[in-house]
Amino acid sequence: MASPSLIPAGDFRTTYAVDTTIFPTTTSRNAAILGIVAICFAPQLLSEYWLSQLILIGIYGIAALGLNILVGFTGQISIGHAAFFLFGAFTSAYISNNYPIPVFFSIPIAGVVTAIVGLIFGLPAARLKGLYLVIATLAAQYILIDFFSRAEWFSGGSVPAMAKSFSIFNYELRGDRQYFYVVLAYVVASYVLVTNLMRSRDGRALVAIRDHYLSAEIMGINLTKYRTLSFGLAAFFAGVAGALYAHYQLVVSNEGFGIERSILFLAMVIIGGTGSIMGTLMGTAFVVLLPESMEWLSAELKGGAIDRALQLNNNITFLREIAIGLIIIAFLIFEPDGLAHRWRQIKTYWKLYPFSH
Amino acid sequence: MTMKSLLGTVSIALLLAGASATAQAQIAVGHLADYSGGTSDVGTPYGQGVVDTFAWINKNGGIGGKQVNLDSNDYGYQVPRAIALYKKWSGADKVAAIMGWGTADTEALTGFLAQDKIPDISGSYSAALTDPTGAGGKAKPAPYNFFYGPSYSDALRAELTWAADDWKAKGKPGKPKFVHMGANHPYPNAPKAAGEAIAAELGFDVLPPLVFALAPGDYSAQCLSLKSAGANYAYLGNTAASNISVMKACKSAGVDVQFMSNVWGMDENAAKAAGDAADGVIFPLRTAVSWGGNAPGMKTVVEISKISDPTGKIYRPVHYIAGVCTSLYMREALEWAAKNGGATGENVAKGFYQKADWVPAGMEGVCNPSTWTAKDHRPTTKVDLYRSKVSGSTDGDLNDLMAKGTIKLEKVKTVELPRKPEWHGW
Repeated sequence: MASPSLIPAGDFRTTYAVDTTIFPTTTSRNAAILGIVAICFAPQLLSEYWLSQLILIGIYGIAALGLNILVGFTGQISIGHAAFFLFGAFTSAYISNNYPIPVFFSIPIAGVVTAIVGLIFGLPAARLKGLYLVIATLAAQYILIDFFSRAEWFSGGSVPAMAKSFSIFNYELRGDRQYFYVVLAYVVASYVLVTNLMRSRDGRALVAIRDHYLSAEIMGINLTKYRTLSFGLAAFFAGVAGALYAHYQLVVSNEGFGIERSILFLAMVIIGGTGSIMGTLMGTAFVVLLPESMEWLSAELKGGAIDRALQLNNNITFLREIAIGLIIIAFLIFEPDGLAHRWRQIKTYWKLYPFSH
Repeated sequence: MTMKSLLGTVSIALLLAGASATAQAQIAVGHLADYSGGTSDVGTPYGQGVVDTFAWINKNGGIGGKQVNLDSNDYGYQVPRAIALYKKWSGADKVAAIMGWGTADTEALTGFLAQDKIPDISGSYSAALTDPTGAGGKAKPAPYNFFYGPSYSDALRAELTWAADDWKAKGKPGKPKFVHMGANHPYPNAPKAAGEAIAAELGFDVLPPLVFALAPGDYSAQCLSLKSAGANYAYLGNTAASNISVMKACKSAGVDVQFMSNVWGMDENAAKAAGDAADGVIFPLRTAVSWGGNAPGMKTVVEISKISDPTGKIYRPVHYIAGVCTSLYMREALEWAAKNGGATGENVAKGFYQKADWVPAGMEGVCNPSTWTAKDHRPTTKVDLYRSKVSGSTDGDLNDLMAKGTIKLEKVKTVELPRKPEWHGW
């Protein structure tokens, strides 16, 4: 990936194509392609539980990618992301239930509709910055959640909505093992699209707005246009991810997607590394697997010696929540640049081994 | 500590913490519990009852010689987590049955349960779960859903029947005013339509419903609405913790209204917490007696309670006993299935139709006779209405308060509703 830092002496590019390449070496490109091919065999090899975890990582990874465009690349902030995720879920369920449109098409359509809604809620972004923008996106979160719990024609009100399972041209996909490929396709497509966006003119404009918006405006970048566009893009990916989630769970419900989920999306972006695309997926994997590993740990401890000694009993549940929060804080203190930075450090260490400095 | 020594300590700790169950033939049962979510105040004693009962069953020989592996999970009253757990249970190692909980998730799962043929006996008494064939026309077919107790709608109908008589007995003029209060959520909304319909039939003036959240909070605004609308009878659709907030706020606001609630809306712990404000609330009881009551079956409940409370000092609220009854019905269904073709979901569901006026063995006088049939999953249409009486300060141990009679659950009336087909599933 094109590094944002200064290029050292001796490292020069002779063609434009080489300069903007996604993978700096053939090895890394081959490794990425091999990785995707290897993951294609996952449904045959992994258990149902791990498969569902991977699918969730993929789905949330797409949503976190959208948020990373907004937070990492454009330097804005949004705590309404979970509401757009749900909007995509309800829209896709609504479209595929009420119109003769197969699920294959309702997912991208849901993404586009969510993008339009995101553009509307992104309009305040043109004038607001920082904390004020946070409150405006908080409003988006609550307005949308309230809309879902009351609009019976759209989302069934407080009763969860049913979504159909994924189908292409009369072939219905049943089960996680088949749905995995759908999610994989969307993840690969989204990540390639966003990487491409970042090395295009618009992507550079977004980064310019993040780094120094006054200079960007002086240079001729239309701040309003790009800020709103950034919101729209974030909402598009959130909508697509939400639609994938709806057709995965087959039931869409409000719960679990309030402000806590929006903050979890932010945590995914921050832990992975703001402004890093590869980091988004790593951060998502971390945030998805963290409660699960805490769940294993507490299940192992339950009824055992430590549980009896400390008399935890049912409080193990709360200990788990506390542990998750503490780990996120520890991460932010010791690794503020995220997992992507840590990964780069590890790679550099081995590149220079044994002379790392 | 170095990484190596840390890893070593952790692995030894995990080894010492206990090995998992040995790999012999076991009957798998899934358990959804709410220990930390919106209904955790009532979910905790009910869940404890289920866990203790199955541990007691295992201690006494299991089911048909096999131990039961109860996979207990706290899903925090969130539908997505319940769905994720269901996927685990309906995968490669399908469970024989599920001990369910909440209305929202149980209603969402009815289709999947029917498809995967896994029976679910829930803590939700929504009438939408009572129509196995969908013949009533009001609810989706739910052939694999069961619950022990009167449905929310039937309980509300019984309470309104009592309220109409209470109004006449008090000799008050004019039409009484009824208001439904609850969160905007499937659980409180379940009996709303049925309740308002029968209220209108019985001559009530039905006021627009009021909304208050599942979490405890400041609900003075709702109390002022009650006062200004002049409501006489208010149905509180949430669980005990948030109902207490409303009752306390209304007591301070000086609102004179008769509160009625569903089975989860009041219990002894809630009465202790609310004190004076909980005096006079009408609510149904699923069991014939509460803890310490005079019934032969109470011995079994005490024995089961000793599993998690060897001292026998903890006072078990009504929800714990209901959890015990529910689990023992499931146990007898599993036993029937084991004897009649193996403990698979399909056989367990058939096991629920084994007896009419069924009381689990050892629970005489505690669990009310229940009958499930292939056409009707309403186990009973008889509702026992009780009134919570608080006559003094509720500081101190709950055992003492109940013994002294400071907190009392006194029986008001048993309403026998007709098993009307037009009320089926609604």
